[in-house]
Amino acid sequence: MAFDKLELRDIEVWDGNFAAAQALRQCQIDVVAAYPITPSTPIVEGYAKFLADGYVEGEFVMVESEHAAMSGCIGASAAGGRVATATSSQGFALMVETLYQASGMRLPIILNVVNRALAAPLNVNGDHSDMYLGRDSGWIQFDAYSPQEAYDLNFIAFRVAEDHDVRLPAMVHQDGFMTSHTAQGVKTLDDDTAYGFVGDFKPMNDMLDLDHPVSHGVQTEEDWHFEHKARQHRDLMLNVAPKIQAAFDAFEKLSGRKYNMVEQYSMEDADVAVVCLGTSVETAREVALEMRKEGIKAGVVGIRVLRPFPFMKIAEVLKDVKAIAALDRSSPNGAPGMLFNEIAGALFNTDTKALLSGYVYGLGGRDLTKAHLRDLYKELQANVDAGKVTTQLQQFIGVRGPKLAFL
Amino acid sequence: MANKGWDEFEIGAMLRSFDGVVPNISTIHQEDRAYSLSNSFTASVADWRIEKPVFNKDYCIDCQFCWIFCPDISIISRDKKMIGVDMDHCKGCGICVEVCPTNPKSLLMFSEQTDEEEALGAWPAKDTSKPETKGDE
Amino acid sequence: MSEMKKIKNLKEFSTSADRFEGANLLCPGCAHSIIVREVLNATNDDLILSASTGCLEVCTAVYPYTSWDASWIHIGFENGSTAVAGAESMYKALKTKGRLKQPDRKPKFVSFAGDGASYDIGFQWISGCMERGHTMMHVVLDNEVYANTGGQRSSSTPIGSSATTSPAGRKSYGEKKNKKDMVSIMASHGIPYAAQVSPNKWKDMVKKIQHGLSVEGPSFINAISACTTEWKFDPKDTMAITDLATDSLVFPLYEIIDGHELNITYRPKNVVPVEEYLAAQGRFKHLFKDQYKYLIKEWQERVDAQWAYLQRREEARV
Repeated sequence: MAFDKLELRDIEVWDGNFAAAQALRQCQIDVVAAYPITPSTPIVEGYAKFLADGYVEGEFVMVESEHAAMSGCIGASAAGGRVATATSSQGFALMVETLYQASGMRLPIILNVVNRALAAPLNVNGDHSDMYLGRDSGWIQFDAYSPQEAYDLNFIAFRVAEDHDVRLPAMVHQDGFMTSHTAQGVKTLDDDTAYGFVGDFKPMNDMLDLDHPVSHGVQTEEDWHFEHKARQHRDLMLNVAPKIQAAFDAFEKLSGRKYNMVEQYSMEDADVAVVCLGTSVETAREVALEMRKEGIKAGVVGIRVLRPFPFMKIAEVLKDVKAIAALDRSSPNGAPGMLFNEIAGALFNTDTKALLSGYVYGLGGRDLTKAHLRDLYKELQANVDAGKVTTQLQQFIGVRGPKLAFL
Repeated sequence: MANKGWDEFEIGAMLRSFDGVVPNISTIHQEDRAYSLSNSFTASVADWRIEKPVFNKDYCIDCQFCWIFCPDISIISRDKKMIGVDMDHCKGCGICVEVCPTNPKSLLMFSEQTDEEEALGAWPAKDTSKPETKGDE
Repeated sequence: MSEMKKIKNLKEFSTSADRFEGANLLCPGCAHSIIVREVLNATNDDLILSASTGCLEVCTAVYPYTSWDASWIHIGFENGSTAVAGAESMYKALKTKGRLKQPDRKPKFVSFAGDGASYDIGFQWISGCMERGHTMMHVVLDNEVYANTGGQRSSSTPIGSSATTSPAGRKSYGEKKNKKDMVSIMASHGIPYAAQVSPNKWKDMVKKIQHGLSVEGPSFINAISACTTEWKFDPKDTMAITDLATDSLVFPLYEIIDGHELNITYRPKNVVPVEEYLAAQGRFKHLFKDQYKYLIKEWQERVDAQWAYLQRREEARV
């Protein structure tokens, strides 16, 4: 082994980007093909420095665009080894075509997405518009709400994606700037433990197995395409969740930190609940506790695994809640927000009497404040008291100008 | 090959060229290869043809122009000798006939239905109006 | 430089065991296939191959069949070159880490792409690969149009050619812009080897492929691929048209070493008038109308000027 290990303290103070870079170092990637884009750049810069200092081996290919980054990752992954990269926003949008290609080709690439707004107008700050763009791309998707989670979820992602019963690429999302550039205490794993959790890369259908030539990325027309896409969807729907759960269980044994596909906070007897992603989850948790002191039984649901969407679990967690707010940090541009739609879909055929309303917030890095959430929980309570949604179904919160509400 | 269901193939639309382990295939000719059923070698495009090349080895000088310029790997050459045409893979393009340097040519196109023996029997004589050429590079 | 297979003459070459298979979906008479065979047969080394979206890819890898006897990957239109660069990077990584399954075998990395995929949509990707210095070869199958989708113009389409998006008509002679000089552009990256090849001059082509495959670093090969369907000539005439292309000097054969030393590698004994080349193809037939005839003269002047330029560069050793 021609690389050095790093001695980490039990708790390090890392921002989300550096936490992800450390996780990638500990996983010992074989090929990283990457392109810089704010706010994900420090992940690949951190990794490059580890390579330059001899803490990792392997190839680090600084390509000429994000599309080339994912293309290089696909070629490397099909060749047969552990592959990862990171991007955001415009870069993510540029590589969207290749995201579909990677998942269709069933290649276990790990992509750290540092969520940032999509232009136009141009914006470097955090929102979920890039995350939402990749919804249907066929990738497994995890969401980290903090640097700790950005660190931990990378290990989970490698272990699940590379499993031969899964063989699907995986994203680990984290909020741009709010998580990526905010330093917090991160409980670490030592190098051997971290690597041991992920394990050695086990190749499958690898091009570099010169004794077994294979063709990857062939064409399928009307007589074959549907079967291949159906198989991909089926494997995402059936094979992945049990593997994620098993990885979460194993990780809990290892670290004491427990992850769930759907994170629930103060939900046991909640009348009103907010469902959201990213750093908003932590803000909402604090506000929910405060609302409880004021007599409102408030809870928070955080989606941990966005894909495969935890349809049944969401229905189970939410159906007996009286009023639910779906918070979407991306402009749906002419429709209800993604979380609103997916929750509505999950609840529709149940016997739920829950009231569901949607909020669009935080675009382009606009802060979601505790005051916003206090008002929001009060609106939910008002809905409960009236027995119907008392506001319009979709409201924009935190935007200057006359009130914007639709539906 | 019958169209299989979603549960009957390997993931990722990945295809294997051969069955089992292959040592360096560049030293093994087609007849000795363990082709997988996914290899197009096992398929045929004979039904593309409306004309076919007929090989007359009496005139052939084994120059191998037909071998190198056949797009469909349908000129079978072994030990530097032109042996014949692979009629499963020949599309009837006619390049082999055009590049054949002998006089008369050692390959000529006939309609697909023509009997080979008849074609050989009806072979044209040397064209005396053509200049002498050598079949080399 | 690694040991290359010795090929003294065509008879010796004919003992090659092809790693490309028939019963694919390429048109009868397609030159892509002839080029691919010459490239693959130039070496006995293991190969890791890619193709960008285009005729070659679409006709040789349609489920449930593959025509490739070496590992092969297609991702998309722009990125065949980058796919191979990624595989080459993985090879290097696994070698460093001692995880190669066959550590004594060093494969060659070759990407194939059409002119549309290379000159246009994949330009940046190839440039990146060349600039980063991967040990790989990019081969352009240059049929001077987007053939797979029915013959639209690309930046490789030469002046006066009638393509479906630059069609000849009563008011137009077809393509107005001249062909982009990709070989010079790629050579300007300072790569060890760039060359223009033609499948009819097989010895020249195989020598160049072998050279490109044996250098450390990237090589770029532009291969003329006469397209029976889009250039509009009879399938049996593919080699005849290719002969006209090289012998009229429309498609000169040369190489550029390390980005700045140019060698002309084929000097026709009898140079054929460009008009003969144009006359043999349907895509140029409108040039023979009175209103467009002047373009034939301009074509000859341009080819002459290009040839003079190549000779000056060769003399000056730049």
